[in-house]
Amino acid sequence: MKAQSALALWPPAASATAVETDHIILGFTVLTLLLTVPVFLAITYFALRYRQGEVADRTTDGRRSVLIEISWMLIPYVLTLFFFGWGAKLFIDSRHPPPDAMVVEAVGRQWMWKFQHPTGQSEINDLHLPIDQPVRIRITSQDVIHALYLPALRLQIAALPDRTTEIWFKADRTGTYRLYCSEYCGTDHSVMDGNLTLMTQAAYQDWLTHGGAQQSNVAAGRAIYESYGCAGCHDGAVAGVKAPALAGLYGRAVHLADGRTITADADYIRAKILNPNANRLAGGGKQVMPSFAGVIPADDLDRLVGYLKSYHRVADGETR
Amino acid sequence: MSADPAAAGPVGMTRAEHFATIGQQRHAATLGMWAWLLTELLLFAGLFLTALILRLLHPEAVQAAAGHLKFWIGAANTVVLLCSSLTMSAAIELSRLGWQRMMVGCLVATASLGALFLVLKGYEYYADYEEHMMPFLARRPYALAEQPATRLFVNLYYVATALHAVHLLTGIAILVGLTWKASRPGFLQRHQNWIEVYGLYWHFIDLIWIIAFPVLYVVNR
Amino acid sequence: MSSAGSLQGEAAARDPHTPSPTLDRPDDYLHAQSTLRSWFLTTDHKRIALLYLASITAFFVVGAVAAGFVRLALVVPDGAIMTNDTYNKAFTIHGVVMVWFFLIPSIPATFGNFLIPLMIGAKDLAFPKLNLASWYVFMTGALFTLAAVVLGGVDTGWTFYAPLSTAFSNTWVLPALIGVTIVGFSSILTGLNFVVTIHTMRAPGMTWFRLPIFVWTHYATSLIFLLATPVITLALILLIAERAFHVGVFDPAYGGDPVLFQHLFWFYSHPAVYIMVLPGMGVISEIVPAFAQKKLFGYRFVAYAAIGLASVTFFVWGHHMFVNGQSDLASLAFSALSFAVAVPSAVKVYNWTATIHKGSLRLDTPMLYAMGYIGLFVLGGLTGLYLATLAINQHIHATYFVVAHFHYIMVGGTVLAFLGGLHFWWPKITGRMYSEPWGRISALFIFIGFNVTFFPQFILGYLGMPRRYATYPPEFQLLNVLSSAGSTILAAGYLFPMVYLVHSLWFGRRAPGNPWDAKGLEWETASPPPPHNFAGVPRVPEVPYDYPIQAPETGRQHT
Ligand code: HEA
Ligand code: HEA
Ligand code: CUA
Ligand SMILES: [Cu+2]
Repeated sequence: MKAQSALALWPPAASATAVETDHIILGFTVLTLLLTVPVFLAITYFALRYRQGEVADRTTDGRRSVLIEISWMLIPYVLTLFFFGWGAKLFIDSRHPPPDAMVVEAVGRQWMWKFQHPTGQSEINDLHLPIDQPVRIRITSQDVIHALYLPALRLQIAALPDRTTEIWFKADRTGTYRLYCSEYCGTDHSVMDGNLTLMTQAAYQDWLTHGGAQQSNVAAGRAIYESYGCAGCHDGAVAGVKAPALAGLYGRAVHLADGRTITADADYIRAKILNPNANRLAGGGKQVMPSFAGVIPADDLDRLVGYLKSYHRVADGETR
Repeated sequence: MSADPAAAGPVGMTRAEHFATIGQQRHAATLGMWAWLLTELLLFAGLFLTALILRLLHPEAVQAAAGHLKFWIGAANTVVLLCSSLTMSAAIELSRLGWQRMMVGCLVATASLGALFLVLKGYEYYADYEEHMMPFLARRPYALAEQPATRLFVNLYYVATALHAVHLLTGIAILVGLTWKASRPGFLQRHQNWIEVYGLYWHFIDLIWIIAFPVLYVVNR
Repeated sequence: MSSAGSLQGEAAARDPHTPSPTLDRPDDYLHAQSTLRSWFLTTDHKRIALLYLASITAFFVVGAVAAGFVRLALVVPDGAIMTNDTYNKAFTIHGVVMVWFFLIPSIPATFGNFLIPLMIGAKDLAFPKLNLASWYVFMTGALFTLAAVVLGGVDTGWTFYAPLSTAFSNTWVLPALIGVTIVGFSSILTGLNFVVTIHTMRAPGMTWFRLPIFVWTHYATSLIFLLATPVITLALILLIAERAFHVGVFDPAYGGDPVLFQHLFWFYSHPAVYIMVLPGMGVISEIVPAFAQKKLFGYRFVAYAAIGLASVTFFVWGHHMFVNGQSDLASLAFSALSFAVAVPSAVKVYNWTATIHKGSLRLDTPMLYAMGYIGLFVLGGLTGLYLATLAINQHIHATYFVVAHFHYIMVGGTVLAFLGGLHFWWPKITGRMYSEPWGRISALFIFIGFNVTFFPQFILGYLGMPRRYATYPPEFQLLNVLSSAGSTILAAGYLFPMVYLVHSLWFGRRAPGNPWDAKGLEWETASPPPPHNFAGVPRVPEVPYDYPIQAPETGRQHT
C-alpha cells in the first residue's frame, strides 16, 4: 500500500513476477552469504590466530595450489550461473507479452507522464489498471530519455525519444503503489512521479466510465501547466519575460487593447492559449507567447483550462 | 640530456640520463610512439564504427549524403598522402645513411604534400558550402533538408575529416620544426631516431585517411 | 630475518631500523632543490607524484563538499533544504569530480608514478617530460571543470546522457565536457608512460614474473587507459560538437540515436571502473604480504587475474543498459559476461585470504585498511552480480541499490586502498612516520561511518527509491537520515588523516629505509629516496615477495 511504514524493509509485491524476483534475490543472497561469510570469518580468525607473537603452527604443507586456485575460481562461478539463468528467463518472459494483453500507451515528457487507456481515456502521472489481466505498456518520450519504474511490479523500462519500447505484466494484488521516472531527465526528475492504482476488473470498468477518468484533475493540470512551460513565464521564473500572472485570472474582468472588457471564462482562456495574438491585452508588452494550437492535445488542453479555473490567488501568495 | 655521443660515426643518438643504454632509449621511444598511435587508431575506429552504424540505421539517407561527397578530390588527396608517405620513407632511409641534405629535402617535400592535402581539403569544404551541404549553418538552407537523417552522416563526415585535418596540421607543424632542427649540423649524430619515430606518426596520419576514404566516400556510393 | 639486501652504498652500512637523518642528508629528492620552480618544472617522477597527490586531495575535498550537500539535502523528503536544481548540480559535480579528478588518477598518478620506477629498479619513467606534461594537462582539464562549477554548475549527471546534455540542459555543460575530454589525454599519457616504462626500463634481472603485483595491476590499468580512453574522448568530442555547433550524430530529432552515446560512454566507463579498482588491488597485494610476513599466495594467478580483468572488462558495457531498449540477445550476452568478470576478482580475494593463513600478522593501519578493503570490495562486487542478473536489474536499475554498489567498490574499495597505500608508503615518500594510534582510530571511523552511510542505501534501493532524486516519498526518510548521519562519521574519518599526516611532516619520527620489514626494491633505498632512486644498480631477488614465510607456488616451485 502507498502508506508504507517508515520502517518497511521489503517493498510490496503486486504480481507473480515480482514475487519471483524477490525469490531470486533472496536465493542469491543466501549464496552470497555462503561465499563470503567464510572469507570474512577466515580473515578475522587468521588475523587473531596468527597475530605476530602468538604461538601458532606456521608450517605450510607443500600442497599443490593449482587445484585450489581452479576450484575457488570455478565452483562459485558455476553456482552463480544458476542465478544468471533464472534471472534471464524471468527477464525474457517480461519482454514477450501474451496476445490478449490490453495495451496502454505511455508518453514521457519533461516532467510528466501521460497514459492512454485502450478505451481512449487518458490520465496524467497516475495510472489505474485492472488486476488479473495482462497489461502491455508501450512507451515513448517527447524529449529526453525517461524511464517508467513500477517498483511493486519490479519492472522498469526506458522511454526513448526516437522509438517505442514496451513491457508487460499481470498484476494480482489491488492497492495503490508508487510510480516513478527513474532515468535522470533534468531539473524536476524527482517530481515526475505518481501513483499506480491496481483495482479489480469491475472497479476498473467503473473507474473508466464514471470514475476519475472523467474528472479533470487539478494536479494533472498543474503538471501540464509546468510541462508546457506556462509556469516558466507566467509564474515569473524566466527572467525578462513580463507575462501576466494567471493565479485568480478565472472569472475576473480583463481589459483588452481595443478597449473592450471581457470576463476571463473558460472559452477566453482556451482561445488565448491556442491563439495568443487575438484579444491583445491593454497595456501588454511585446507579444512573445507562441501559439499552442497543434502542440497541445485536446485532452491536455481541457486539463489545463480546468487547472486555471481552480488556480486561485491565495492571500499569502501560496497558490498550489 | 647528457652530452656523450654514444655512437661514433655520422649517425647516432645521445643517451638521456635516466636510460641505462642507447638500445633501451631507442626501444622506449619507438614503443611509446606505437602506444600513442594505438590510442589514436581507437579514437578513429570509434568514428568509423559510428559511420557504419549510421549506414545500418539509415541506408538511403547515408547514400544520398555520400553522393554529395567530392569523390575525385578525396581520391586525389589519397594519392597526395601516399606520395608524402613515400617521401617520408625516403627521408628515414637517407637519415640512416647520414645524407643530411637530401633528407631535409625529403622532409620539406613531405610537409609540402601535407599542405597540399589541406589545400585540397579546404577547397572541398568550400565546394560543400557552395552546394549547401553544411546543415549546421543556421542561416544557410541545407540541400537535403527533406531527408533529415542525412544530416547525421554529413555531420559525421565533418567531424571525421576535421579531426583528421587537425592531426595533419599538427603533423605539419611538428615536421616544420623538426626540419629546421634537422638542417643544423651534427643533427644526425645526436638525434637520428627522432626522424624514425616521427615517421611512424606521419605514416599513421596517412593510414587514417586510407581508412577514411573508403569508409566515407567509397562504401556508400 | 634481516633485510640487508641493499646494495646501495651509504644505506647498506646502516641498520635499516635506525632512521635516516632527513635534515642532514639534503640530497634526497625532497630536499635536493627547494625553489618553487624546482617543483613546478620538475621531471622527477617522485615529485610529480606529489604534485598529483596535492591536486587530487584538493579535488577530493571538492567532491566531498558536494557529497555533503547531497547528504544534507536528503535529510528531508520534500526538498525543503535546497532546490531541485541545486541538488542536481551537487550530485553531478560530485560524480564528475570524484570519478575523473579524484578516483581515476588517485592511485596510478600518485603511487604508480612514485613507485613503478622504484619497484622495477629504474631511475625514472621512460618519458619524464611527458610525465610532467600530463600533470599540466590534468590541471588544464581541471580548470575547465572548475570553471563550469564556478560559473553556475552542470546538471546532467556524470554520465552526460544525450539528448539531455546536448539539447535540453541549460547549464554549463560545455566547459565540463571539455574539461573531462582534456583529462582523458592526461590519463592516456600516464598510461603510455607506464606501459613503456614497464616494458623497457626494468633493472637487469627484473623479469616479468619477478614484478610486484602492484606493477602488474598498473600495467593492466595502463592498457585500459590506452585502449578505452580514446573512445570516450571521441564520444565527448561528438557531444561537444553537437551541443556547440549542432554537428552531431545523437540528436533524435534527425533520427540520430541517443543510445549510441550510451554505448560509446559505457564502452569506456565500464573499463574505467577497472581503472579505478585494479590499482587498489595492487596496493592490497603489497600490503597483505608485508603485514603477514608471508609470500603472496598464488602469485602467478594474481598476476594473470589482473590481465584477465583488463580484458574481460571490455565486453560487459551493455550491463548498464539492460532496460534501455537493448536487444534481448545483447542483454543476455552482457549479463553472462558480467558474471565471468567475477572469476578473476574471486582469484584475488581468495588469494589474499590464503596469504593471511599461517602468516605472522601485524594489524597496523595499512593492514586494517587492507582488511576493510577486502570485506567491502566483496560486498560491492557481489552486489554487482545482483545488478548483472537481468530480472533483478529490471527492478533495481537506477535506484539507490546501484549507488550503494558502486560506493562499496569505489569508496569501500579503492578509497580504502588509497588510504592504506598512503599510510604504507608514507614513510618512504616523506621520510617520517605517522601516528599509529590515530591511524587506527581513523581507519575504524571510516569503516563504521562508511557502512552506516551506504548499507541503508541497499535497502532503499530494493524498496524502490530512484537515484538522482532531490525529493523522495516520506516513507524513505528514516533510512536517508541514517545514511546522512553515517556520512558525518565518515567525514570525521577522512578529516583525521589530513591532520595527523600533515602534522607528521614536521613532528613525525624519522622513518628508517624499511620500517615494515617489507620486500620489494622500493624498500631497499633510503627514505626518502635520493633523486635518482638508487645509488647503484639494485639487486633483484630471485623470487618476488621473498618473505620469511613462504607459501608453495603452483606445485612447480618448491621452497
Ligand atoms: C570501481 C568501480 C566498480 C567496479 C570494480 C564494479 C564492478 C562490478 N560491477 Fe559495477 N558499477 C560501478 C562501479 C564499479 N562496478 C559504477 C560507478 C556503476 C554505476 C554507474 C552509473 O550508472 O552512474 C556501476 C553499475 C553497475 C551495473 C549497472 C547497474 C544499473 O545501472 O542498472 C552493473 C550491472 O551489471 C554492475 C555490475 C558489476 C559487476 C558484475 C562487477 C564485478 O566486476 C564485481 C566482481 C567482484 C566480485 C564478484 C567479488 C569478489 C569475488 C568473490 C568474493 C568470490 C565469489 C564470487 C564469485 C566467483 C561469483 N555495475
Ligand atoms: C568515485 C568516488 C566517489 C566517492 C569517493 C564518493 C563519496 C561519497 N558519495 Fe558519491 N557518488 C559517486 C562517486 C563517489 N562518491 C558517483 C560517480 C555518483 C553518481 C553521480 C551521478 O549520479 O551522476 C555518486 C553519487 C552519490 C549519491 C547519490 C546521489 C543521487 O543519486 O541523488 C550519494 C548519496 O548519498 C553519494 C554520497 C557520497 C558520500 C556520502 C560520500 C563520502 O564518502 C564522501 C565523504 C564526504 C562526506 C561524508 C561529506 C563531507 C562534507 C564536508 C567535509 C563538508 C560539509 C559541507 C556541507 C554539509 C555543505 N554519492
Ligand atoms: Cu523523467 Cu526522470
Ligand atoms: Cu559496468
